[in-house]
Amino acid sequence: MEPLELFLMTLVTGIMVGGIYALVALGWVLIYKCSGVLNLAMGEMTLIGAYVSLTFYSMGVPFLLALLISLIIGFILGILTERIFLDKLIGEPVLSVIMVTVGLSFFFKGVVELIWSTDTKVFTPAVFSIEPLKFGPIIVGEVYLWSFIAAIILLVIFVCFFKYTRWGLAMQACADDEMAALSIGVSARFVYAAAWAIAFMAAGVGGTLLGNINGLNISVGYLGLLVLPAVVLGGLNSVPGAIVGGIAIGVLQNLSGVYLDRYFPGAVKDIAPFVFMAIFLLFKPYGLWGWERIERV
Amino acid sequence: MSTTFLPCGDYHQGYAEDHAWFQTKFIKGKMIALFLVLFVFIPISYWGSIFQSAFNIDNYWFSLIIRYISVFGADEYWISVFNMVGYTILGALGVQLLIGYCGQLTLGHGAFIAVGAYTSTLLILEFPWPEFMITLGLAYPVSIFIAGIMAGLFSVLFGLPSARVKGFYLILTTMAAQFILVDFVITQYVSQIGGRGQAFSLPPGTIKIGPWLIDNNYKVYFFMLILVILSCIIISNLVRTRVGRAWVAIRDNDISAEVMGINVIKYKLLAFFVAGFIGGITGSFWISNLAAISPEHFPWFLSLWLVGVILIGGVGSIHGAIFGSLFMVVIMELLQLAVIPLADTYPKLLMDFLFIKEATFGLAICGFLIFEPNGMAYRWWQIKNYFNLWPFSY
Repeated sequence: MEPLELFLMTLVTGIMVGGIYALVALGWVLIYKCSGVLNLAMGEMTLIGAYVSLTFYSMGVPFLLALLISLIIGFILGILTERIFLDKLIGEPVLSVIMVTVGLSFFFKGVVELIWSTDTKVFTPAVFSIEPLKFGPIIVGEVYLWSFIAAIILLVIFVCFFKYTRWGLAMQACADDEMAALSIGVSARFVYAAAWAIAFMAAGVGGTLLGNINGLNISVGYLGLLVLPAVVLGGLNSVPGAIVGGIAIGVLQNLSGVYLDRYFPGAVKDIAPFVFMAIFLLFKPYGLWGWERIERV
Repeated sequence: MSTTFLPCGDYHQGYAEDHAWFQTKFIKGKMIALFLVLFVFIPISYWGSIFQSAFNIDNYWFSLIIRYISVFGADEYWISVFNMVGYTILGALGVQLLIGYCGQLTLGHGAFIAVGAYTSTLLILEFPWPEFMITLGLAYPVSIFIAGIMAGLFSVLFGLPSARVKGFYLILTTMAAQFILVDFVITQYVSQIGGRGQAFSLPPGTIKIGPWLIDNNYKVYFFMLILVILSCIIISNLVRTRVGRAWVAIRDNDISAEVMGINVIKYKLLAFFVAGFIGGITGSFWISNLAAISPEHFPWFLSLWLVGVILIGGVGSIHGAIFGSLFMVVIMELLQLAVIPLADTYPKLLMDFLFIKEATFGLAICGFLIFEPNGMAYRWWQIKNYFNLWPFSY
């Protein structure tokens, strides 16, 4: 293959996978923006959504309907999680909240493994055809293309939701200044619950799309960790940052998988985002568009 | 919550008394009793067999007595559980130092334990030790020390971003340490050294401290006890010196600490070094218990587990690390013991035990953080005070 073609193809694949990362990263940023919770259970949330839609799909439900069901279940689970665990921790130190989400991630993971075991499962019959699509010299798998399109559509829906609906505006108000939002009659508890529900739903879609690419097993939950470099890159509380960060991490991962693997054989692809993130943090600790926090004694 | 209230009538008359290890005769007696239990009663069957072989007694009655006494001690299985507890305590102490005393959140401590374990193993297996050091049994002790320093240096390397970032961002860089060191460097490169494949096995007879060959669970137990006691003493002394006070100041408010003239970066990195050092020693201790070490022994789960342990035990106290380790390890063992009888009727349960364990651990962390955010050490402190101040608690 020509070097240029290889580069372009890697780039395109990276962008498309990055679209899925962006979707999950958006859910993450949403929770952080609204309630200040740093959610390390994102990976397990993607797993749950993906497994639910897979279960319904293999029961014969049409794919879109199965996705819808997983969205509804994600919505319910999100509200339950917030009410049972996170609601009691408002105002606690950051470590407690992070560790509760770590605890949640263990709990979710254990439950997922108990219910669906650890073997790799695939969507049968395949949702997307295996035939790759050709755009001139660039070859792209259909799954990637559809995932990207779905991710973009959902991103647009999310952005519209925030800009134009009453709920979305309430969430933005709450993120901006919780005290002010409370004083004009926004229910913070409602906003937190909504944020978790939406994050759970976004994670479910992301997980379902990823599960269509390589089959579904527990390691898809690793995605939840890849979201962290993405949000750090974009800035913790920036929605466009999450999108750019997600796509950038997808591209970076694929490029390093192709070009660096020669020099450092092994799992370069998996750790490149983290190395990048560790170095990036040294120079720009608040990401590209994150709010710089000014501290006072 | 660092000071315990003294019973009515006990007064301190000087600075030295205020900081004494054993502040009252009762505490002294209590500690001696604890040491007796730890060193004599728990491994009593080991002492019995030592006694028997030392005096060459081949008496029916004597061995019967030994066997009856041994019932009160711990058997081989529980000794191995206690070894696990000790390993967790040693690991958790390093995390406690970083999170509880210096306020630097870390989720990558398992990586430094792995660095220690691998440094020690590689030194034993690959380093051309002079003959006299092997015969004197110095190879392993020296390798423990070097492993500690090595892990400390790596810890400092990944703690460097703490100069600029804190809180959540620091969690990310320490997480990166776990993925870079264990999943990449150790799995892909270090494991290839010597062409042994994925697992490094230590030939019997190499784990030797002086003339003392560590080859069974009881000996690992004594080794563990000595290490745990030593590191508890070192840490509790460290945190009441200038260094420890500086750490606590940084934890409480790093900007104020800087204003007061504390070199924040220096002390943060020092905390990372000490925590990494303890982590390295933990790792090189643990190889005495493992037949073969492989990267799977140091997953990210280990790092999270250690943080969970100190959260359950209580952040900011050495008691917390000990209580948390005891609680988590023993609870998990009891859970396993409860599962085994059920396994006959539900064979799937035994297979799924790992997952149940994971889910329980997660729920335990959530439950403790929600209902008992100060951890078990706080309860212990309350109980102690209750009895010290009884009957007039004012």
